[in-house]
Amino acid sequence: MTINNNAADKTASRTRDKIEIMAPAGSFESLRAAINAGCNSVYFGIEQLNMRARAANNFSTEDLKEIVKICKEAKIKTYLTLNTIMYDHDMNLMKKICDVAKEHGVTAVICSDVAAMSYARSINLEVHISTQANVSNFETLKFYASFADVVVLARELTIKQVEYISEKIKEENITGPSGQLVEIELFVHGALCVAVSGKCYMSLATYNSSANRGACLQNCRRSYKVIDEETGDELRIDNKYIMSPKDLCTIGFIDKIIDAGVSVLKIEGRGRSPDYVDTVVSCYNQAIVAYLDGTYTKEKIDAWIKRLETVFNRGFWHGGYYLGKELGDWSAAYGSKATKEKIYLGRAQNYFNKVQVAEFHLEANTLSVGDDILITGPTTGALNSKVTEILVNDQKSDTAKKGDVVTIPLPEKVRANDKLYKIVDAQRTDGQHNTNSEKSKTQVTEEKNE
Amino acid sequence: MAKIIHYRNKCIGCNSCVEQAPSRWSISDEDGKSDLKGSIQKKEVYIAEISVDEIEENKRAAKDCPVSIIKVID
Repeated sequence: MTINNNAADKTASRTRDKIEIMAPAGSFESLRAAINAGCNSVYFGIEQLNMRARAANNFSTEDLKEIVKICKEAKIKTYLTLNTIMYDHDMNLMKKICDVAKEHGVTAVICSDVAAMSYARSINLEVHISTQANVSNFETLKFYASFADVVVLARELTIKQVEYISEKIKEENITGPSGQLVEIELFVHGALCVAVSGKCYMSLATYNSSANRGACLQNCRRSYKVIDEETGDELRIDNKYIMSPKDLCTIGFIDKIIDAGVSVLKIEGRGRSPDYVDTVVSCYNQAIVAYLDGTYTKEKIDAWIKRLETVFNRGFWHGGYYLGKELGDWSAAYGSKATKEKIYLGRAQNYFNKVQVAEFHLEANTLSVGDDILITGPTTGALNSKVTEILVNDQKSDTAKKGDVVTIPLPEKVRANDKLYKIVDAQRTDGQHNTNSEKSKTQVTEEKNE
Repeated sequence: MAKIIHYRNKCIGCNSCVEQAPSRWSISDEDGKSDLKGSIQKKEVYIAEISVDEIEENKRAAKDCPVSIIKVID
């Protein structure tokens, strides 16, 4: 069955190159995975004025040059996130970051603070409006059009509201500094917040750790009890994760999003692994192509969803706010519900191009013929394969163990120090986790907006 | 003597330490991170010796630090 064929007139003027998939790049591995999977642009942060300031693997100014170089070679756009709340003492750093972005040819900076927009425009640096600005209506978009060529709309809008704003842009000919019509960007996949597009002070109020300075501790993601203070009675609630929404997944109605006039599809997850980025970008890329060529079917959607479930997710809210509010769709678990998990095995030592064989040193666990494997690296990105043959010390073997140096046939090149994992069905013990606040404060690695 | 250890690299420039103990902390004009006044640098760590009457406010600064990079040893 083909879905929405009667929208052919709407897609007639749309081609794949008119729709942009914007992928998160929290590391060089994820950057490469995003490129290989078919993204059209990436967003990333440097230094501390971005919504992943806490992340251990934040890029430096030096890295920025390398990222831009890689992306220019791959012919994709680069967006630098500069979207925290800013104080007076941040102005010097904000200006320096804009200057560096301009100097090295970053396509645009993503801002929410007018100080950053204003300075970026003063040096003729392209600006996009961040989700942290919560743009929810046409008049606000019109205001920001004097600064920005692309505006991300709030995740809390419905598709009809998005479509209305899109129509109004055309009707009133709202152009950005480039002179082109302002483009609409929308989050299509990844984490949702209990607060309006990330404007939340829960982490700040409880741990003095501001989400809006990129330091969210995600205490909303934990389970909570409701206790009557007078009697001490605890209310029984089916789902204790009362503030943790499931993740947004729009692959089942990407046709409606494209038809609503959205041209930039943004994937959340700068804290995610390269295999996550690879899987999500690849699925959405295929979905867009399928819609545009009239082969967007229920069967394909089901297959994409199944594939998306193999990587990090809190369960999916198929529709999010875009298709109307379905209250109570909470995650019901802490952390991921991915159906697959990866187990670290070791590192690559060599790749023999002529015979297409890779050599790995196993530092943990076992590897067997038939195993699904994942190899990640800064140049390799995320590479999935299946083990068809194992040689240990030049002898054929069905399995290899910790300490072994093994060679396996691999059709694509890997590099020294790339990490090797095997992919297995996830073994879950949902529902319990450490709620000790001090421990959690240093343990949190999961992310939220941009 | 009491001392403060500051793992400066991971500072996110939130200004909390400056609010708590302005005589010891300031925000750098260079990179927007906090500087520990009167400290000496040992590799990536900054260390300052402090007097007894500075301990309390700097312990508050340490407690408030969202990225836990301030340690006060008394």
